[in-house]
Amino acid sequence: MQWRWLQDHVRKPKDSLYAQRVLERYRMGMKARGAIRGVQVIVGDDSCPICRQYAGAVYHPDDAPIIPITGCTQQGGCRCAYRAVMDYEEAENPR
Amino acid sequence: MIDVMRKIPLFILNRRFGWPKMLPINLTLSPSPRCNSRCLTCNIWMKREDELRLDEWDRVFQSLGRAPFWFTVSGGEPFMFRDLVPLCQSLYKHCKPGIINIPTNSLMYKIIPGKVEAICKSCPDAQVIINLSLDGVGEKHDRIRGIPGNFEKFEQNFRALRELNCPNLNVGIHSVISRFNVDDARELYDYAFGAKSDSYITEIAEQRVELDTVGVDITPTRDKYAWAIDELIARIERRKFRGISQVTEAFRVEYYKLVKEILSEETQSIPCFAGWASAQIYANGEVWPCCIRADNLANLRDVDYDFGRIWFSPEADRVRTSIRNKECHCTLANASYTNMLMHLPTVARVGAKVVGSSLPVLNGPVGVDPSRSPSTTKI
Repeated sequence: MQWRWLQDHVRKPKDSLYAQRVLERYRMGMKARGAIRGVQVIVGDDSCPICRQYAGAVYHPDDAPIIPITGCTQQGGCRCAYRAVMDYEEAENPR
Repeated sequence: MIDVMRKIPLFILNRRFGWPKMLPINLTLSPSPRCNSRCLTCNIWMKREDELRLDEWDRVFQSLGRAPFWFTVSGGEPFMFRDLVPLCQSLYKHCKPGIINIPTNSLMYKIIPGKVEAICKSCPDAQVIINLSLDGVGEKHDRIRGIPGNFEKFEQNFRALRELNCPNLNVGIHSVISRFNVDDARELYDYAFGAKSDSYITEIAEQRVELDTVGVDITPTRDKYAWAIDELIARIERRKFRGISQVTEAFRVEYYKLVKEILSEETQSIPCFAGWASAQIYANGEVWPCCIRADNLANLRDVDYDFGRIWFSPEADRVRTSIRNKECHCTLANASYTNMLMHLPTVARVGAKVVGSSLPVLNGPVGVDPSRSPSTTKI
């Protein structure tokens, strides 16, 4: 069970260092053998088609699209966010 | 505590009308996100911050004065913050709180008892509550916490803390009920209730911005959690408590019922006072209304460490409006206990329960240990 409001809450405009900061810590987390397996892009119902094409895929932090997504057409700027993907999610939902 | 009760109507007025202006009574500090656990339910250990130094914390506490009654020094793992003891000494010197609550994963069990003793001795008029995390019995705990041997260290730490001769120390056990252990809740309760801790509290695993778990499915299903919580309430109600423990356990039962209600209704079942009566200061100096939303109201470094300048700012008002409009809801225990205290029907139910002695008779190891001073059990 997940709070729907929180998913939207994290889709606030980000500062310029957001992507660097988050991807760096995910990279470190994977290196340190935590339960993190990769990163996903969180989009919303109101996200633009360019952002939506990145939803669902699991990326290595080195290969993840940089937020704000280049070419995003959302009014007011890109509101995407990253989320950690955990290894137990992979075991339950193999792609 | 009387001072806190006196402030309740003022906070209710403050939330409704914006007056009188009040500083929070319940403050959570995260001096460092560093953690040596690798929990399935938490990703905070990956974070690194430009942490506030002790002298900076000192100035923050100075600006808060005697307002906060209840401090939680959280993390990460709080005992990985090298200056934990001086930090507690500083907050005690300036704020004179009634409660200092510190959770721990017990991994640094060799140094924890010494530091706890130092905190207890230098904060003699505060209740020092050390909550040891326990998410499973034996290897199940180790698997969820991601560290082999963690359960054994928990037991060693627990024993060592119980042996300390500190009248103001309360050693509790804290379990996070997640989808990884909800099916083993009975086994967990059997162990925790048999351990003779001063208190046993559980909290549901939920997504938090602070823990970087937004979107990660760690929360048990509503039905499974309801079963686990009913089982826990039944165990608490089979015991009898005396003195202040009657009150704390009655609040605890109310909290568990509230969680079920929030999960079912998916809204603030009672008004949330995060942003009014409770708040959090993150490692880098950001002030948040709570760790679930983690809205950055501003950074203390940018306002000369004056908490009030952030707390009474337009940005804080904007976030308060969002909370008041029920744009969020959650089951965060720390904030919920404050919310219940501010909710007169809940307080009335607790009062009626205590007066009516509806909590059956006790000999329970959890909640109160007759060998310890009655003053050692707090909310």
